[in-house]
Amino acid sequence: MTAHFVNLLDDLRRRSLRMAAQVEDMLQECDEFVFRADEVLARRVAARDEEIDAEEVGVETEVIRLLALYQPVGRDLRLLAAILKVNSDLERVADCTVNIAERARHLEVQELANETEELKQLFPLVRRALRNAVQAYSAEDADVARRVIHDDGAIDATYGQIVRRVVAAAPRDSRHMAGLFDLLSIAKNLERVADHATNIAEDVIFLATGTIVRHSRE
Amino acid sequence: MVAARKPAVPGSALHLVPALPQRAPAPELAAAEPVIRAETLTIRYGEFAAVRDTTLDIPPKQVTAIIGPSGCGKSTLLRAMNRMNDFIDGVRVSGRLLFNGRDVYGPDTDPVELRRRVGMVFQKPNPFPKTIFKNVAWGPAVNGYRGNLAELVEESLRKAALWDEVKDQLNKSALALSGGQQQRLCIARAVAMQPEVLLMDEPCSALDPIATARIEDLIDQLKSQYTVVLVTHNMQQAARVSDRTAFMLMGELVEVDVTSRLFTTPGDPRTQDYITGRFG
Repeated sequence: MTAHFVNLLDDLRRRSLRMAAQVEDMLQECDEFVFRADEVLARRVAARDEEIDAEEVGVETEVIRLLALYQPVGRDLRLLAAILKVNSDLERVADCTVNIAERARHLEVQELANETEELKQLFPLVRRALRNAVQAYSAEDADVARRVIHDDGAIDATYGQIVRRVVAAAPRDSRHMAGLFDLLSIAKNLERVADHATNIAEDVIFLATGTIVRHSRE
Repeated sequence: MVAARKPAVPGSALHLVPALPQRAPAPELAAAEPVIRAETLTIRYGEFAAVRDTTLDIPPKQVTAIIGPSGCGKSTLLRAMNRMNDFIDGVRVSGRLLFNGRDVYGPDTDPVELRRRVGMVFQKPNPFPKTIFKNVAWGPAVNGYRGNLAELVEESLRKAALWDEVKDQLNKSALALSGGQQQRLCIARAVAMQPEVLLMDEPCSALDPIATARIEDLIDQLKSQYTVVLVTHNMQQAARVSDRTAFMLMGELVEVDVTSRLFTTPGDPRTQDYITGRFG
């Protein structure tokens, strides 16, 4: 029976990692198409989000089933707890990409060309944070996870620059107020993606070490 | 129930939810002077070392569970604590085993007095073929108890959570009780001797799940007054009822830790393998 449980747990772990890879893809699509005001992008991201929503429920159902039937302990218990928490963060990252794609659909790219410098910097930072968080999750690597948490400061700083730029631009360019809000919303959603990547990194540290580092200054 | 407080914020619903009861935090290791201490203890049956070089503290008024696969030495270690192993031929003990600082195997220790203070409950309920009352009263009576025996019997049966079920049939044979009731009677019998420590060797393995749950609840209550050492094959039981868990393997104490930590973050890979069923 233990071998059976080990197989089920391994299947679930891979299912969660596949979901993580899909969410990473969604963010990558946003990065590639956000400055093209692409209608197709928004529809594609929204369609993928429905798959992620269904998968989130599926993974959660399986975690609860395994907890109820096998009463796991030790690393198995930590893995199931981590999968359950990461699952929720991945679903929210997918929601953020939908929001980004929605805003990108009518982003006034040409008119706002002078205001998007930091946003273009922010995308690769956030993608790297999510990439590293998922890699840490895959390898159960607490060191990589700690780097993700550390690097979140640079993302917050870049987001702060975008906020200041929008605040400065809005009074002198009121015709493009809606576009500036779209830009700010995209930045806010990216910053949230990075926060979810940080949450995943914290769950990886718990998975690897058994220590809950959330809300602590490790 | 904690009294509802007036809301600090107008319109707050917080006062509708009673405050949670204060619970003692999970005990940490070595928080108090141990009642029993094994120091580099080795127990041999002939040439075979059933327990090897084991050092373990049993803190007061906590439940310490000893887990491990069959033949790991957990029952041998438990039985050494009140010298039940004396009845087995060829047993040799080296190292030290201390009860309240005194050597259990020292020349000054009276095993009968030791067993009065360190009681034992066995795997299979083993009531005497006598009445319920006599089962509880017999031990104190032959040990010269001078108080009111009827009161002691009632108190002991209450502590064993059996009184309400048997108070009208104290003169009935103990053998007429169910397995779970018989086991609680055996706990009452041990409690009647007013021990400090209760050793329990697989006390639920012969019981159904409902009787097991009652014994587990009882163990939880008993620890407020007694130090409990529980040997169990059932890891979920150890996780449910104990404060600390010791894991033994092939006569060696591999790891001892606060139970919640041992079952979430074991320190030794052998413990990890055992508790997750990947052993062997």
